[in-house]
Amino acid sequence: MTVSDINQRQKFFAEGNVYLPHIAVIEKIIEETPGVRTFHFNLKDQKLQKDFSFESGQFAQYSVFGIGEAPFCISSSPTRRDHLEFAAQRVGKVTNALHRLGVGAEIGFRGPYGNSFPLDFLKGKNLVFVGGGNGLAPLRSLIWNVIDNRNKYKKIDIVYGARSPADLCFKYDLDAWDRNKTVNMVTTVDKGDDTWKGKVGLVPKVLEEVAPSAEEAVAIVCGPPIMIRFTFPALEKLGFKPEQMLTTLEKRMKCGIGKCGRCNIGNIYVCRDGPVFSYAQIKNFVSSEY
Amino acid sequence: MAKKISKKDIAQLLKAWSQQFAVLAPSRKRGVAEMAEWDGKDVSFLDWYRNTVVPPKASFLPPMEEMFRFQKDKDNYKIEPPSKNGQKQLIFGIRPCDARAMAILDMTFEDAYQDPYYLSKRKNTLLVGLSCANPCESCFCTSLGISPSESADVDLMLTNIGDHFFIEEITAKGKELTAKTSGLKDANKDDEAEARKAKETAYNKVTRKLDTEGIKDKLLASFDDEGFWEKAAAKCVSCGICTLLCPTCYCFDINDELVKDEGARFRSWDSCGFSLYTRMPMENPRKEKWRRVRQKVCHKFEFYPMTFDIIACTGCGRCIRLCPVNWDITKVLESVPAKAKAGK
Ligand SMILES: Cc1cc2nc3c(=O)[nH]c(=O)nc-3n(C[C@H](O)[C@H](O)[C@H](O)COP(=O)(O)OP(=O)(O)OC[C@H]3O[C@@H](n4cnc5c(N)ncnc54)[C@H](O)[C@@H]3O)c2cc1C
Ligand code: SF4
Ligand code: SF4
Ligand code: FES
Repeated sequence: MTVSDINQRQKFFAEGNVYLPHIAVIEKIIEETPGVRTFHFNLKDQKLQKDFSFESGQFAQYSVFGIGEAPFCISSSPTRRDHLEFAAQRVGKVTNALHRLGVGAEIGFRGPYGNSFPLDFLKGKNLVFVGGGNGLAPLRSLIWNVIDNRNKYKKIDIVYGARSPADLCFKYDLDAWDRNKTVNMVTTVDKGDDTWKGKVGLVPKVLEEVAPSAEEAVAIVCGPPIMIRFTFPALEKLGFKPEQMLTTLEKRMKCGIGKCGRCNIGNIYVCRDGPVFSYAQIKNFVSSEY
Repeated sequence: MAKKISKKDIAQLLKAWSQQFAVLAPSRKRGVAEMAEWDGKDVSFLDWYRNTVVPPKASFLPPMEEMFRFQKDKDNYKIEPPSKNGQKQLIFGIRPCDARAMAILDMTFEDAYQDPYYLSKRKNTLLVGLSCANPCESCFCTSLGISPSESADVDLMLTNIGDHFFIEEITAKGKELTAKTSGLKDANKDDEAEARKAKETAYNKVTRKLDTEGIKDKLLASFDDEGFWEKAAAKCVSCGICTLLCPTCYCFDINDELVKDEGARFRSWDSCGFSLYTRMPMENPRKEKWRRVRQKVCHKFEFYPMTFDIIACTGCGRCIRLCPVNWDITKVLESVPAKAKAGK
């Protein structure tokens, strides 16, 4: 991140203080799966909402006042700005509190933080999106971003999977991408049910069946760590080089800006230097703790 | 030119400075030695003080600090930013190792995003250093390029030369302060010679040595040597003392509190020695103790040098003196294998 990036972002911080949240208002709640909800929100300060800018892949710190803060990626696309979105899986203190909130509730928001998907690098290439579970959240920001600038990119493949049909997130997006003739959408589940007519099988295996060409291609992989660990080798088999594979990493975070110490992998802070990394970068990390 | 002040005038000096600054000096009022607001008369620390148990970082990154308050009004929240506290501070008696620690901490808090809480206090504080005449057995500052009696990281530096303190003006701010301070005399050649002698004696009293040559690369090569790290961590009980009371450790946690309609967000010291520190909903990258001990050692001697080109340890010896099970960072570093055992 350059100094001018920092200065550019500094103006979004209340009182110039990077730790002070803005008030955001929840506009709409979508039950994605039994454990995952998407929240549509706007910053309460209308001028700020208008001026606010972010890029696909960036995250923010959201808070339920009195309970605490948690990081989530901004899951909406910067190309669609009537509101902002994030999707939270219910796993602990803050996420449980978020799931208790209704439309109109006020939350804290500070960000955006971290780097983003390198659009310049993706331009003119074939894109292969590989997602699992609610790991689609950061991917969908990029997918809509790319679809909204469709002529800048070549072929688009999306392979998305979840444990069961009930665990598929963003079904409305999956449908939209399925209908979109410029996109090859493949949805799979680990285990089907009576009504499931789509593919059954783990994401890395289905990806090998879809067998996208590595030629002039970049694969962007987001999902549970276990899926990511098996997807990289699958892509390598298809001829993808480590530089052609991107992912986002997750660590426990508090400050979000490289101060509180906890999200490091060796000399890298995931919050400051990530969360977007290429597999080539990850392979070069000092530490194998990713 | 250097100045000097008679020992019996130190209380007078601190009194004068108290007019302009909140003066902090070594104190044992709360049990353990720390930098605390000077009470206006007691200078007995000049006799008992070797170094504080609580490092001076506590004056800039307090163990617990309110970040802002908020008010709940039915479903609405109002955030009250922290008040801009412009209080000027002066820390009297900081040791050269601890002054270096502040310079090391600055790098993190000034990097990319500015940390307003730390930096505002830092900008408002003058450091008056005090030469160490009696380094502890656990001290190894000289192995990290620090002298117990010399510092470029303070504004003024005082050295005991018998019935006087020899005063060096290190920064422009320090010079400005002495210019405004009455009761100081000009030091002469003899004082200077006396100070040099005192410094040399102190330097030679630091007997513990650590060979830091190539330590970064050795750690890099041994990072995945699980056997080595397991052995190195064996007796640690994960109490966190060595990190919480390390002058260069800065990890913190952020939490909220809400009582009725009044709430606050605050941050507090945290430690990579605790397994909850990195715990995530589905997994924990440092569940095993040896991974956490490795993180602590490597952060200081490998990662910080990679990022900021400086070792984040000052050899202050606190982690050795204060550990309940005598874990010794110098012994661990000395036993890092020269070559990697396990490949990555
Ligand atoms: C950059 C980034 C982007 C992310 N994006 C998303 C996203 O888009 N969507 C999403 O759903 N998630 C996302 N996450 C993950 C999300 O941040 C975490 O799931 C969230 O922080 C959990 O917060 P919590 O307060 O609900 O959980 P916590 O209460 O912190 O707890 C998590 C787990 O740890 C356990 N635990 C916590 N404290 C203790 C304790 N004291 N003792 C014992 N066990 C304890 C709990 O039992 C629970 O299982 C992202 C994370 C990062 C770093
Ligand atoms: S002080 Fe000693 S026991 Fe406590 S965490 Fe440090 S090394 Fe372990
Ligand atoms: S690691 Fe130990 S010796 Fe080094 S600065 Fe920290 S407490 Fe002092
Ligand atoms: S979240 Fe604090 S350093 Fe990354």
